[in-house]
Amino acid sequence: MTGSHDTGEDAVNDTQGGWHPPDELLTVYARGAPPASARWSVEAHTATCARCRTRLGELAADAVARVWERVDAEVDAPLPGPVERLLMRCGVPDHTARLLAATPSLRASWLLAVLFTLVCAALVSSFAFTLEAPWPYLALAPLVPLAGVAVAFGPGVDPTHETGLTAPFDSFRLVVLRTLSVLVATTVLSGAASLLLPREGLAALAWLLPALALTGTTLALATRIGPLSAAVATGLVWALAVASTVDPADGTSVLFAPAGQAAAAALASAAALAVFRARARFDTARRFDHPVRFSRRPA
Amino acid sequence: MTATQTVTLSDMTVRFGRTTALDGVSVGLEQGVTGLLGPNGAGKTTLLRVLATALAPDSGTVRAFGVAAGDAAGRLALRRRLGYAPQEPGFHLRFTAFEFVDYVAILKEMTDRRARHAEVRRVLHEVGLDDRRGSRIRALSGGMRRRVALAAALVGDPDLLVLDEPTVGLDPEQRLRFRETIALLGERRSVLLSTHQTEDVTALCARVVVLHGGRVRFDGDPAGLAAVARGRVWTSPDRPATALASWRTGAGVHRNVGTAPAGAELVEPTLEDGYLLLLEDAAPAEVAA
Repeated sequence: MTGSHDTGEDAVNDTQGGWHPPDELLTVYARGAPPASARWSVEAHTATCARCRTRLGELAADAVARVWERVDAEVDAPLPGPVERLLMRCGVPDHTARLLAATPSLRASWLLAVLFTLVCAALVSSFAFTLEAPWPYLALAPLVPLAGVAVAFGPGVDPTHETGLTAPFDSFRLVVLRTLSVLVATTVLSGAASLLLPREGLAALAWLLPALALTGTTLALATRIGPLSAAVATGLVWALAVASTVDPADGTSVLFAPAGQAAAAALASAAALAVFRARARFDTARRFDHPVRFSRRPA
Repeated sequence: MTATQTVTLSDMTVRFGRTTALDGVSVGLEQGVTGLLGPNGAGKTTLLRVLATALAPDSGTVRAFGVAAGDAAGRLALRRRLGYAPQEPGFHLRFTAFEFVDYVAILKEMTDRRARHAEVRRVLHEVGLDDRRGSRIRALSGGMRRRVALAAALVGDPDLLVLDEPTVGLDPEQRLRFRETIALLGERRSVLLSTHQTEDVTALCARVVVLHGGRVRFDGDPAGLAAVARGRVWTSPDRPATALASWRTGAGVHRNVGTAPAGAELVEPTLEDGYLLLLEDAAPAEVAA
C-alpha cells in the first residue's frame, strides 16, 4: 500500500482534505530519520488522526522491539565490579577488563589483603631503628606479585583454563595481560607502602627489580612445571637467598645493594626472553608439534 | 578423507606415563551427530580433548575443515570453528550465567559489546536458561551448570561441537530438551558427543563409535551396533546359567543376553545389547594382548 487510508468514518481526517501520510513516510518516521518538513507533517497529522497513529504504531513495532531488546541486554549485562570499573576508567576496553577481572589476584579483596600485608611489613621495618636497611619489607614485597601470578592462570588454578585453551584467544596473550596487570597493581600498592619508609629514600624501592626477576622466573618455570609449583620454587629460592645474605646486625644484604640489583635486572631480562621463546608452551596441555618429553614409553 | 568428512583424526596415540590412553585411533566426522560410547577409562575424554586442541597427541594428526591442526595457525583455524564443553566444565563461581557466557564469548574473539551480549542472550535462550541469566553460577544446580557450559560451547555458532558427557546430571525433561537442541544443531554441523547413555545414542546419533582400551571397537550406525547382538538375545521363563546378563522383566519373563541355547526364543536386540556384547567380545583380546 502506498497511498491514503479510507477516511470515511473519521471526521477529523475529513477536515484535512483526506490526505494521509503514505506507509513509506510513516516507516521513515518510525526509523527516526525523516527530513524536517516531513517530520512536522507526520506529527501534525498523527496528532489528530487516530488511524494513522495506529498505523504508525504497527510500522514502528519492529523498531520498538529492537529497542526493548537492547534495553533488556543492558539490564542483563553484568554490572562491572570495582576493579573492572577502575580498569575501564583507565582506558582498558570492556572485554579486556572482563578477562582481567576474572583473575583472583586482581579482586578487590585480594588487593586489600596485599596492601594490609605490605603496610604491616613496612611498619615492622620502620620501627626496627637498629636496621640500616628495611629488610623485612624488601624481602616480602617481591613475593607479592609472585603470589599474584601463581593464581592468575594455568591448569588447576584457573577453573576455565581448558575452555580458554580451546578458544581462539591467544593463551600467551592472556598470560601476559594478567601478569602485567598483577605487576602493575602490586607495584602501585608496594610503592604506596614504601612511602611509610621515608628515611630510606630510594633504597626503599630496592624490591622492584627483584620483584620483576622473581615474576619473570616464575613465568619461565611455569612453562615447564605449572604456575603454582614455579611460584613456590622461586619463592623458596628467594627466601633462602635473603636468609643467607642479610646481615643480622644492620639488615643490609648484597641483594639490596647495587650488585644485587644489577643481578636482578639481568635475571629479569633473561627470564623475559626465556618466557617469550617458550610462549608456545602456554598453548596446549602438552606441546602439539613434538612428542612429549616427560612421557615414558609403556613397559 | 571422503568429501563429506569435515574432521579426521588419523592414527592418534596419546600416552600418560605408562598408560596408553589412545592407541592408533582413526576417526572421521561428517555432518550430523556422532556418539562416542565406551566404559570409563576407554579414552573418550582424551579423544575429545585432542580434537578440541586442549591436548597434544604423542603421534597422529588432526585435520579439520581442510587444515591440519598440528601447528599454531591450524589450531587457531580449528578453534575459530569449535564449540567445546569439557567433561568437568570449570566456572568462575562469582560470575552470573550471563557473565560467564559473556567471558567465554570474549575468549572467542567477540569484542563488540552489543553483538556479544545479543549472542549471549541467544545461546542462553537456546539452552532454556532465559530466566536464570542473572543467577550466580554458585547458586545453580549441577544440571543448570551443564546447560551454562553447553551455552558457552554454542557461542559463535560453531561448525564443530565437541561435547563430553553433556547429559550427566540432567533430569529427564532437561535431557529431552537437550536432545531437541542437539538434533537441531546436528542438521547443519558436526557434533561429537561422548556419553554413557545408550539411549542418547539411539535417540540422536546417525553414527556411533565405540572406544575400549584406547582402540576403536566399532564404527557404524546404531542399527549395526544392535546387530552385533542378533541371535544372542532371548527370553526364557527362568534365569539361564549361560547368560552374560539376565533380568526379569515387568512381563514376568527373563530377558537374557549371551550365547543363546538351541531353540531359544530370540528377540530383537537393542543398541545396549550390542554394546555389552561388543565389550565382552573385546575382553579376551585384551588378555591376549
